[in-house]
Amino acid sequence: MSTCETVRDAIYQATMFLDAQKWNDWLSLCDESFEYSITSFSPEINYDMTYLAANKKDLHHLVDLLPKHNTDHSPLHRHTTVYSVQPSEDGKTATAVSSVLIFQNMLDGTHSHIDAGESRLFVIGRYMDTLKIENGKGIFLKRELKLDNRRLDKGSHWPL
Amino acid sequence: MAARNHNQWMAKPPLEQGEWIDSRVYTDHEIFEEENEKIFKSTWIPVCHESELPKPYDFRTSSIAREPIIVCRGPDNQVRAFLNVCPHRGMMIERRPSGSFYEGQPSGNPKRMTCMFHGWQFDMKGSCVYVSREKEGYQDRLCKDDVGLRRLRCEVKFGGFVWVNLNDKAPDLETWAGKPFECLRKSLEAEPLEVFHYHKAIVDTNYKLWHDTNCEFYHDFMHYHNRVTGFNDAYFARKNEAFDNGHIVVGTFEVNYDKYEGFESRAALSFPHLPPNQWYMIDLFPGINFNLRGSALRCDVVTPLGPNKTMIEFRGLGLKSDSKEDRMTRINHHNSIWGPFGRNLHEDLIGVQGQGNTMLPGTEARRVLHGRQENQTIHDENGMRHYYDEWGRWLNRLPSSPDKPYSAPKETEAVTAAE
Ligand code: FES
Ligand SMILES: [Fe+2]
Repeated sequence: MSTCETVRDAIYQATMFLDAQKWNDWLSLCDESFEYSITSFSPEINYDMTYLAANKKDLHHLVDLLPKHNTDHSPLHRHTTVYSVQPSEDGKTATAVSSVLIFQNMLDGTHSHIDAGESRLFVIGRYMDTLKIENGKGIFLKRELKLDNRRLDKGSHWPL
Repeated sequence: MAARNHNQWMAKPPLEQGEWIDSRVYTDHEIFEEENEKIFKSTWIPVCHESELPKPYDFRTSSIAREPIIVCRGPDNQVRAFLNVCPHRGMMIERRPSGSFYEGQPSGNPKRMTCMFHGWQFDMKGSCVYVSREKEGYQDRLCKDDVGLRRLRCEVKFGGFVWVNLNDKAPDLETWAGKPFECLRKSLEAEPLEVFHYHKAIVDTNYKLWHDTNCEFYHDFMHYHNRVTGFNDAYFARKNEAFDNGHIVVGTFEVNYDKYEGFESRAALSFPHLPPNQWYMIDLFPGINFNLRGSALRCDVVTPLGPNKTMIEFRGLGLKSDSKEDRMTRINHHNSIWGPFGRNLHEDLIGVQGQGNTMLPGTEARRVLHGRQENQTIHDENGMRHYYDEWGRWLNRLPSSPDKPYSAPKETEAVTAAE
C-alpha cells in the first residue's frame, strides 16, 4: 500500500472508531506523544482560539470520566473526506488535510418525542493530521480539528 | 399526597409569597415584548470588550433588544456607540461582526463609516460628513448637520468591557452596577485584560432560565466536576449576596481543582489581588454574568430572541500582559471547565434546554419553586427571589401571578390570602 493509502486508511479508521464511540480503540491509533486540539478562528474577536487542547494522557482522563458527566446522548456521525496527503521525503511521516462534517443524530437533549431520529448538522471543519508510518500502519502524532463554528449550542463533550 | 390533579398542581405552593413564581413569565409573548421594551432598552449591556477593537478606527457590531449597534474607536482612542442604522433610508451601515474603517470600502473613503446603499459617510463621532450629491438633491433644505447617527450612551468600565445603554435617561453605570463589582474591582482593574475566547449558543429556552442557572448553585448536583472540587464546608458556607437593582454576588471559596482527575491547581496564574483558586461570580440584572475562576474570567451576555429562544455569548479573558505560555495555560484552564468541550458549561446548556422543552409558549402554567432557605448560603435560592422581585418592579407584574400588578412581597401575601 502506498503511504497515501496508509494515511487515508488510518483517518477513515479513526472516523469509524469515533463514530462508534470506541474511544480507547481510537486512542490506540495514536502515538504516546499524540497532541489533539479543536481550534477556530473568530472574526468576532479577531483571535485564533483553542477550544480544547489535550495530550494522550488528558484524553484518557477525559474519556474515562465521560460516564460520570451528564451529556447529550445524540450520536455524532462524521463525514470525513481526505483532501490531500503529503508524505515527508523519507516517507516516515505524512501530513493530511481532510474535510469533516459532523452530524448529530438527535436522541435527547431537546424534546426527544419530537426531535429524536432527526439529523442536524453539528459542526463543520477540517482535520489537520500528522501521522507516522510504522510497519505499514499510520499512527497519529497530531490532530488539529479547525472548526468553522463559533456557534456551539448544547452538544456533547466527546472528542470530535 | 402522591401525584396531583390539575387543581392541586396549580394551587399556591405551601411556601411564602416570593418563594415561587408562575411559569408564564417564561412562555408569554406579551411579557417577552414588554421585557425587551421596558428592561433591555433601559439597562446597561456589555456588548463587547475593548480589546476587540484595539486600534483607532476598529469597530464591533452587536445588538440590544433587536436594535443593531455599532461600537467604534475614534482617532482620539475613545470608544463610542451608535445605532448601526443609516439616517437616510434605514440601511444597516456596517454588516461585518468586526473590522476597521482605516481602509476604504467599495463605496466609501477610508476613516469613514460608509453606508453602501447611497454612499453617505459618517466619522467616528457619528457626524455625517458626506451626503452624495447633497446640494443637487436637497438644495438647502437638508444638510449634513441634520443627519448624524443616533448616539448611544457608552462606557468602558469594570475591566474594559464596553457597556451600552439605549436609554438616554438611565442612571450611570457606576450607580447601576458599582456596588456588586466591588468584590472584583481591584482584580479586574489592576491591569488591562484581553479576550481570548468567544463562542455563542442559541438555545430554546427563556433568557431568565439561563440567568437563574448562573445565580444558583443548588444545581451543582448536575456537575460531577463541581461536586468533587467543591462540596466541602467552605463551599456550603459560600454566600449569595443581594444588591440593589436585582444584582447578586456569589461569594468566593477555594476550589480543589486537583480533586478532579487530570486537573491541576490554578494558583500560579491567579488574577491580580485574587487569592489562589478562588471563584467569584457577579450576576447582573437582567442577564449578565461575570465569573472569575482563579486564572480565567468568563463573561456571559444574553440576547433574548423570543420567549423560548435565547442567544448567549461567552467570552474568556486573561491579562493583556500574558506571555504566550501563560496565555495558553489560562485558555486551557478556561476550556477545561467552560469551553464548549469542557466539563461544566454544556451541562448547564442541557439543563436550561430541558426547562425550555417543558415551557413552550402555550403550555400549562405551573409553579416554579424558589423557596430554599439556607441562611443565604450557596444552595439558598435568595438570589432568584431577589431577581424576580426586581423583574416584577420593572414590568409592574407580580412574578407569582403576572396578570396582577407588582407589589412588594409582604403586601402580595395579603393579596393572595384574600383570593
Ligand atoms: S440608506 Fe444609507 S445612504 Fe441611503
Ligand atoms: Fe452550572
